[in-house]
Amino acid sequence: MPDMSVLAGPQQHQFNPYAENGGTILAIAGADFTVVAGDTRQSEGYSIQTRYAPKVFRLTDRAVLAVNGFAADGNMFVKKVKQRLEWYRHAHAKDMPLRAIARLIQTMLYAQRFFPYYVYNILGGIEEDGSGAVYSFDPVGSYEREACRAAGAAQSLVQPFLDNQIYFKNQTAAPGQSHPTHLPLSDVLSIVIDSFTSATERHIEVGDGLEIYIVLAKGRSLQGVEGLRGLREMSSREDGERVFVLQRELKKD
Amino acid sequence: MFLTRSEYDRGVNTFSPEGRLFQVEYAIEAIKLGSTTVGIRTPTGVVLGVEKRVQSPLLEASSIEKIMEIDTHLGCAMSGLTADARTMVDHARVTSQNHAFTYDERIKVESVTQAVCDLALRFGESVHDEDAMMSRPFGVALLIAGIDELGPQLYHTDPSGTFVRYDAKAIGSGSEAAQSELQDKWHKQMTIPEAQKQVLRVLKQVMEEKLDQHNVQLAQVTVDKGFEILDEKTLKEIIDDM
Repeated sequence: MPDMSVLAGPQQHQFNPYAENGGTILAIAGADFTVVAGDTRQSEGYSIQTRYAPKVFRLTDRAVLAVNGFAADGNMFVKKVKQRLEWYRHAHAKDMPLRAIARLIQTMLYAQRFFPYYVYNILGGIEEDGSGAVYSFDPVGSYEREACRAAGAAQSLVQPFLDNQIYFKNQTAAPGQSHPTHLPLSDVLSIVIDSFTSATERHIEVGDGLEIYIVLAKGRSLQGVEGLRGLREMSSREDGERVFVLQRELKKD
Repeated sequence: MFLTRSEYDRGVNTFSPEGRLFQVEYAIEAIKLGSTTVGIRTPTGVVLGVEKRVQSPLLEASSIEKIMEIDTHLGCAMSGLTADARTMVDHARVTSQNHAFTYDERIKVESVTQAVCDLALRFGESVHDEDAMMSRPFGVALLIAGIDELGPQLYHTDPSGTFVRYDAKAIGSGSEAAQSELQDKWHKQMTIPEAQKQVLRVLKQVMEEKLDQHNVQLAQVTVDKGFEILDEKTLKEIIDDM
């Protein structure tokens, strides 16, 4: 007679519709540009599902969206945002302004308040007034405009670094001097690359590849960027805001 | 005239052999019975004016409502069956508020006009057995005034759901005379006070009664103050100044 005692008690089964796919995203706003970056590793537990799954997407010539968390939800969400942007373009004969996209993302996320998209969004781009802007969201749509934000697996590693390097937290300016409110593009790019190489060293879910999107305000020259290896233009026109993507390798171990 | 129309002017969704929708054409005729309504666009704003037909001395002129606010940056004036306009203005207001809620920005004048016109051809729309929500076309024309990132704009909509942008437009019973007067007098660099007086002068020409602050109404959408209906005191000052 087999031992049936294990079957005696009640058995529970649960379906979990969510997964956590690792990776990290980050965005920094400059005076007349914004940088949005994300690594390209997608993992579940200790296994890597793919070394190239983009988490940063160009929405318009002045808006870039980074999505981190549950990859399936993230991809679906980006697809729906892009669809709404196309509808808006047809209805109102213009590209949606950045702050309108930010509000749209809030309404879309909050519409799923009781079965949320399991994603953290960071929206970066150029506002109507030509300034660089970053908007960060929680999974149910709470949002704010900031100068910089990191999210995802290595948020706890990267955000304190950004607080120190961008907001100059715990740094005292030399007597008679003050900290700059915005950094130049070359400094921002160095900070982004350093953030990801460091996160790759210390977090197992970060690595493989790095995609850095650069959004430039209308009329701003490419100064300091044009020489970079692996730089590709993504914008549809040269006389408006321009979007570039810079691809880098990260360690694969 | 009625011989040729006898068969095809009943159904609201039946074309005549010449390709016409008579009910829609009759609806457009209904507007020509309405009181005169005028709109003028200037570089700094849009002015709307309507004639209020005060049929009896016992009638409270202030209760006649022919200019309505759609949003802080949008207003409209009407001519024809004004009761029908309530449905349209209500839809315009909801559309405008929904846009502000979803996009955190003011809706464009053309977009809100398009939204109103989307309603216009909903008559006779029903699946079998279901009751149609609207049995006939709207019998009203609107002048929609507003300001957005493209500047001050004035749109005209009619019961066919067509909308066109104008620099100056008159609708209603006195519209023919009023429109040709506007064509003579409108110029690119009009100021708001000039436009106010021009609207009143045009109305004065086509009105049977003597124009005063009780039987006309003026409203404007300006860059500085958005939509506002001018009160009788302000109106009287403008009339006295004419």
